[in-house]
Amino acid sequence: MGKDWLKVLIAAFFEIMWVVGLKYADSMIEWSLTVIGMIGSFYLLILAGRNLPIGTVYAVFVGIGTAGTVLLDFIIFGEPFSLAKVLLIGLMLVGIIGLKLVEDAEGKAVE
Amino acid sequence: MAWISLIFGGLFEMVGVMMMNLVQQKRNIRSVLYLAAAFAASFSLLGFAMKTLPMGTSYAVWTGIGATGGAILGMIFYGESKSYKRMFFIFLIICATIGLRLVS
Repeated sequence: MGKDWLKVLIAAFFEIMWVVGLKYADSMIEWSLTVIGMIGSFYLLILAGRNLPIGTVYAVFVGIGTAGTVLLDFIIFGEPFSLAKVLLIGLMLVGIIGLKLVEDAEGKAVE
Repeated sequence: MAWISLIFGGLFEMVGVMMMNLVQQKRNIRSVLYLAAAFAASFSLLGFAMKTLPMGTSYAVWTGIGATGGAILGMIFYGESKSYKRMFFIFLIICATIGLRLVS
């Protein structure tokens, strides 16, 4: 159980890595890391999803990925802080996480 | 242009996820190629959008469209649940997407 959640955390870290790479990579090494991030995040997410409820896994993964990229925008890459933007991205996360959790709780199938 | 690219990137992510299911059912070269093409298109379009849009906004919208599109397709073509809770969260994602478009 704990080991599978660790996979989700590492997958989210890889996700942030490739998103940063897709915007900022400009050398062979950085592009290679970007591709490694894409493959790593997919692979670990699929592995974790074998033992954990997939909707919950995806909800946690997307939450960390989104929060991470938004924070990096403001802290490292000098995007101007905008409260409206942060609130709207929060609303987006409520939507995505809610959708995924409902799918785990109710199932997607019609009863 | 960036927003159109972002929306199509999200749609291709959804197609990619559909292709993953196809690959699990039919392990042949053609379905693997479709899978690779869908994700290549999705990442390229997201990358193009991020040249002008901030990283966090682009990623959130791209993921949101992928998740919403998958749920709507599931409802229409695979007879998945159309519960009001699913509809409500899809509505939130669409509102957030439109809001982000307006403030950026």
